[in-house]
Amino acid sequence: MSLLRSAPYLVVLVPLIVAAALAAGIRVWGRASAWVALLGPLTLLAVGVASLGGRTSGSLTWLRVGERAMVVGYNTDALAAVMLVVVGVVAACVMVFSIGYMHDDKGYVRYYALLSLFTAAMAGLVIAADLVSLFVAWELVGACSFLLIGFWYEKPSAAEAARKAFMVTRVGDAALLLGMAVLWRATGSLDLAVVLGKAGSMAPAVVTAAAICVLLGAMGKSAQFPLHMWLPDAMEGPTPVSALIHAATMVAAGVFLIARVWPLFAAAPAAREMALVVGTITALGAATVALAQRDIKKVLAWSTISQLGFMFAALGAGAWPVAIFHLVTHAAFKALLFLTAGSVIHGSGTQDLREMGGLAKRMPLTAACWIAGAVSLAGIPPAAGFFSKDEVVASVMHASPWAGVALFAASALTAAYAARTTRLAFFGASRGEKPAHESPWTMLGPLVLLAVGALVLGAVGAPLLSALGAESEPLSLPIAGTAVVLALMGAALGWRSARPEAAAQELSDTWRSLTRAAFSGWGVDAFVTRFVVRPTTAIARATDAMGDRLLIDGIAEGVASLASRVGGLFAEVQSGDGQWYAALMATGVVLFIAAAVWLVR
Amino acid sequence: MSTTLLWWGLAALTLAGAAVVLLTREMMRMIIGLGAFLLGIAGLYAWFGFGLLAVAELFVYVGGVLVLFLLAITAMGRDSDSRAIARHFDIGAAVICAGLAVALVLALQGLLPASGPVAGVTVEKTADALLGAWLPQFEIAGVVLLAGLAAALAIVQGGDDE
Amino acid sequence: MTTLVLACVIVAAGLYGVLSRRDLVAVLASVEVMLGGASLLLVAYAAAGAAPAAGQGYALFVLAVGAAEAAVGIALLVSLVRRGRSRTDQIREVRG
Repeated sequence: MSLLRSAPYLVVLVPLIVAAALAAGIRVWGRASAWVALLGPLTLLAVGVASLGGRTSGSLTWLRVGERAMVVGYNTDALAAVMLVVVGVVAACVMVFSIGYMHDDKGYVRYYALLSLFTAAMAGLVIAADLVSLFVAWELVGACSFLLIGFWYEKPSAAEAARKAFMVTRVGDAALLLGMAVLWRATGSLDLAVVLGKAGSMAPAVVTAAAICVLLGAMGKSAQFPLHMWLPDAMEGPTPVSALIHAATMVAAGVFLIARVWPLFAAAPAAREMALVVGTITALGAATVALAQRDIKKVLAWSTISQLGFMFAALGAGAWPVAIFHLVTHAAFKALLFLTAGSVIHGSGTQDLREMGGLAKRMPLTAACWIAGAVSLAGIPPAAGFFSKDEVVASVMHASPWAGVALFAASALTAAYAARTTRLAFFGASRGEKPAHESPWTMLGPLVLLAVGALVLGAVGAPLLSALGAESEPLSLPIAGTAVVLALMGAALGWRSARPEAAAQELSDTWRSLTRAAFSGWGVDAFVTRFVVRPTTAIARATDAMGDRLLIDGIAEGVASLASRVGGLFAEVQSGDGQWYAALMATGVVLFIAAAVWLVR
Repeated sequence: MSTTLLWWGLAALTLAGAAVVLLTREMMRMIIGLGAFLLGIAGLYAWFGFGLLAVAELFVYVGGVLVLFLLAITAMGRDSDSRAIARHFDIGAAVICAGLAVALVLALQGLLPASGPVAGVTVEKTADALLGAWLPQFEIAGVVLLAGLAAALAIVQGGDDE
Repeated sequence: MTTLVLACVIVAAGLYGVLSRRDLVAVLASVEVMLGGASLLLVAYAAAGAAPAAGQGYALFVLAVGAAEAAVGIALLVSLVRRGRSRTDQIREVRG
């Protein structure tokens, strides 16, 4: 126990070594890769649990140049411990699930190597005690996301989605780097303890600038408006990847980051307001889009964006422990929903909700797990989602009633799309062509585990919040009551909208155009493509043509052809003509004599 | 005074012969020119007082080498030099040669005291030198001539294998 | 002094012939011209020196070697002409 607590860097080392081993023996490992890869998340889980009690910090000097040394610091406080447990459990479930899901994929070993690498990066991010290590891990997490979204790289849409994800999060990363520069300038250090200690004494403008930069970085990773476009496209990756990275862990990294550097935000009310606004808009907007989706994974993607918006709103309201609580429950039920969707896809052969139906009869266990997740998502007691969402809405309501109302609306919509999707997929007549079958136990086992978590994790709320240093408010009946009522109403509406006759009904024109607009994400993607991507690409192309090809290639090739021509000139000296040689010699003699005469005079 | 005039005459003959050798296109004329040149050189040797040398020059060069050239030309049927009008190269060569002349003159001008004909360069004295102090060189010269003879024969005979 | 100039001019003139004439016989003739100029200079020095008799002997050596060289040169010329090569632009390769 104490060993685990005293060597927390193992959470990075073990999965890293596993990833390297798998990569080195990529043709050799075969089926064993899954079991080897499990060592990573299990290490995270063990260290996380062991560290829940107390805090360990330390540093490793990994480069020493004379007086100065490059120190990498690690720190396992309560926040880090909680994150380690979350990542460990979810990653382990995903890895076990993938044994069945990715069984026939020829990239099996590469898959587990990448998952291990991701686990290592995430662990590094969580225990980092200085901004440099954190940023390195942050980037590595992004790189793994890129590699995993584009796992089936031969598919052009997958490669495109991976690129898009990388580009959009890059915008956030640039902001984060800028924030780091600001902090460095203001405090002379990048060590978290030092920087956060001085947060209170920095000039307001400086702190606010730094906080906003960090916020932008978090918005990129956590897919908040307007940096959210990459997440729906990221569904091109394998579904277990979506469960791990784009539901439970990587996208939560943004929330974690803000929690980590909370003293900055505590001193910068403007940044908090921005977080609140962004989070609320995202929560509400994404919920409407989720309602209009036809692909089960896209529903879940937009749902994730929306739920992350809830977390950001909580952060903006100043209640970061509450945001972390919701992060934990969300990790459980969203990973559950994604993996269940994976089971559905595996069993029914399709992702399109219009081709599903009646799956509850054919895949009962999967359906039960899904329903557990959906109930938690909708925030219906006593599922865990109810408790955490309630805390979120309560704290937001304190900070800003308008935002609170918006979040209520978003909660209603959440219940609506959850119910709608449930009915479309699992109930009613089967609209699919081939009959569906239930999934193997390797896929069902993790589902059951996560389902249990999705239902009972509400109980960890109080201890979690106090571990993180906040008091949990007792359940305020008005808010909780309103929330439940809204959830039930929303669910009922959503359920109704999914009735079989509804599909055949002609929608009115307004509804139809609204639905279409919502389906496309209210045009944000198209807007960005037109006004940001295209001009930038045009500039890049122009620079390439003029700067690179004209100038630099011109110079490089010019030098080469010059050398060639000079060489050709010199070659003519060797002409084979005796009289030419004699003439050259005579010239030499003349010059020699002239020189001698000149020197002697 | 007359020696100077004589000198100038001989110099003119020599230069004229050299010019013909350089510039004419017909081989026969070139031979004549070479002959004139060699005669001029012999005369200049004599003007300086080196009688033996002048005669040896006449025998060996005019009588031997020149006849050899004549033989070569007539036996091989070479009677004119096809030549393009002055190539760029020729102009360059002329420049180089002019430069060489100037350079040589400049280099050597301090070293040559004024000289004129000397008297008393008799055959006896030359023989004393050749067979006395310069005997090794004399013998070697003989060997060289022999080697040249053999070489010329070898070159002309061999080489039918192609 | 003037003999110096004369000798140098002759040598330079002979060099011009060597460089620019295209027929091999002409080149050989030009070489003879150069030799003549050089030995003229030698003679002029000898005449001004202490032992002109030895100088005459020296000049005789030059003459002998020059004649040998002419003979060998003609022999080479003959063997080349036998292969049909009698101009300078035909003898660029070292072969045969």
